[in-house]
Amino acid sequence: MSERMAKAIFWLGTLSSLAVFLAMTVHTHRSFGALTHADALDEKVVAGKRAFERHNCNDCHTILGFGAYYAPDLTRAYARLGEDAVRRRLEAPEVVFADSYRKMPQQHLSPAEVEDLVAFLRWVSGIENHDWPPQDSPNRWRRSTERVLASASLSPAAALVQQENCLACHSIGGTGGTAGPRFEWIGGRRDVAWIARYVADPEAVSHGSRMPGFPHLSEGQRLMIGEFVVSLTADRSTP
Amino acid sequence: MTFQTQRVAYPYFVVALLLFALQVVMGLWVGLQYVITVPQAVVDVFPFATSRAMHTNLLVLWMLLGFMGATFYLVPEEAQTELAWPRLAIFQLVLLVGTGVAALVGFLFGWTQGRPLLEIPTTLDFLVVAGALLFLANVGVTLLRARRWNVLQGALLGGLVFLALMYLFGMPFYRNLAMDWYYWWWVVHLWVEGAWELITAAMAAFMLIKLTGVDRKVVEKWLYVELGLFLFTGIAGTGHHYYWLGAPNAWLWIGGAFSALEPFPILLMLWDTWRSAREHDRPHAPRLTWLYVGAMAVLHFVGAGLFGFAHTLPQINYYTHGSQVTVSHGHLAFFGAYALLNLSFFYFAIPRLKGLPDGRYDERAGRWGFWLQTLGIVGMSLAFAVAGVLQTYLERIRGEPYMVAQQPMRFWMLIVVLHGLMVVAGVFLTVKHLLTLRPELTAVESAEPGAPARAIAAGAGSR
Repeated sequence: MSERMAKAIFWLGTLSSLAVFLAMTVHTHRSFGALTHADALDEKVVAGKRAFERHNCNDCHTILGFGAYYAPDLTRAYARLGEDAVRRRLEAPEVVFADSYRKMPQQHLSPAEVEDLVAFLRWVSGIENHDWPPQDSPNRWRRSTERVLASASLSPAAALVQQENCLACHSIGGTGGTAGPRFEWIGGRRDVAWIARYVADPEAVSHGSRMPGFPHLSEGQRLMIGEFVVSLTADRSTP
Repeated sequence: MTFQTQRVAYPYFVVALLLFALQVVMGLWVGLQYVITVPQAVVDVFPFATSRAMHTNLLVLWMLLGFMGATFYLVPEEAQTELAWPRLAIFQLVLLVGTGVAALVGFLFGWTQGRPLLEIPTTLDFLVVAGALLFLANVGVTLLRARRWNVLQGALLGGLVFLALMYLFGMPFYRNLAMDWYYWWWVVHLWVEGAWELITAAMAAFMLIKLTGVDRKVVEKWLYVELGLFLFTGIAGTGHHYYWLGAPNAWLWIGGAFSALEPFPILLMLWDTWRSAREHDRPHAPRLTWLYVGAMAVLHFVGAGLFGFAHTLPQINYYTHGSQVTVSHGHLAFFGAYALLNLSFFYFAIPRLKGLPDGRYDERAGRWGFWLQTLGIVGMSLAFAVAGVLQTYLERIRGEPYMVAQQPMRFWMLIVVLHGLMVVAGVFLTVKHLLTLRPELTAVESAEPGAPARAIAAGAGSR
């Protein structure tokens, strides 16, 4: 190979790649508005992003898969946990993670910061990013729901969940409230006995919990709810 | 060493080595937090985030100081002239180290920009930019005055300007998180798979020419091809970070295609090193320097090329993105490509700066340092990889909640920490060895039976 040719390879390689890259940068800028729902990106969300950076959240958590790998990814945290559970983790991590082998620092956030962070995470959860991360894929939740619906009419526990109006706050699959964590997620983390205890008196298990207690239910009914929730454990197949 | 002003490189090397030692110690604590339960009271004042910020910023700081020192060593010899402003080079070192220390102490008190790897607060960013400008001015003026341009100088200066320019994209506040990460990668990816590769190629070519005496023309010709391939695959290859951040679909194709080619320039570099080493006309001495150069060429390819390729395709990356698989690749690539590059250069340049004849030195303690840290990092990366594959399967494919999936990974994080101990021991030995290099035993002495014992006694006596 001659030196002329080597130089040609250098310039051709560099400039062609640069041209592709810059053209794609323009294309990306034009697409971000729609893909990230920039119209919903208000001052509250920006304030939340500033709080997110001020407290260095990203050096434990990943978001959009970037950051440190020490704590759960936050891309869909809002959709997975619900608003109240997100708030509680920000306000009282030392209570929420009291029995966890990995802790989250108590950062003494002001009430305004908490609201801003919630707004930020709500906005992030809407970013259209080719359905990543797989563990929080809506397709996966939806399939769980279908499986449940297929057997729900036969299940006394499902009737109990309906009667006690659990889905006002929690969700299963694509339906239900967003105040509490989704049932499939709880089912993956907790066992039947723990859930039964929590349903009886949430305050006793997790100080400061916003969930009301259900002491009027019998022990058997509470265990039934626990079994129901555990049976919902997210669909294990690929999204 | 032929020019007096090359001496300014030495303080850069010393500071870089000390920061390297600090980085691996902090790394040990970072790893340990995956294994043990740190009490809430400790987490509240010294969270994982702070220790991680220190671990990564120390890495960036020591490597950049190493590159800068190497540049100050290399430029006078290439341009055949003294450095323009040697005192300014020392001032620049003081400025950058001062900024670095302020940043590290600041992290302890929560003073941070809060973006991974770019945690240095904006105020301090301006000092970094000032330091970089001083550096570029010093090097640029030296090269311009000499007017002995060649591709090696071009690659080095081009890489350094590229590096400084990209830093600017990490400084502003971005309102949109997706946009923020888009430009974050202009700093991080275009550094490690762009600017730093240019600097690496130049530094490696310089060492090969000096160590082997191979034909300069041949090395320079291949340098053009390597650089062309690095930039061709590296620039558009940035796309492999844009799959899941809310960017358009076309990135899946472009990122996947360009980054699949990324191992080739590294392979070419490996082949280039091997060919030069085989063809050259002198014995491979000192052996330890050659060991470093060889390990750099091989682990650069394995860590950056193969481990990177393993999860660069979108179909795989969908499941491995943001898991310990990334961590495994990150550790082996940074060590293989850039830590070993700097250490190779130190082993090449420090004996010459100290005026040891023919660049030879007493190698014994350094060999332990080399093997401990290299095997330590390789073992650590494999343990990270096992943890990462577990995480990918349990969390991403089976859909287990994050902390449930982390439980079975803890054992492998313990294996990581054990290898971390090896790395710390190896790095400490290496740093001590490099800072106290001694002349080699003469051939006659070492050929005599019983000579080593006497040499050690003599060495002890001279202390």
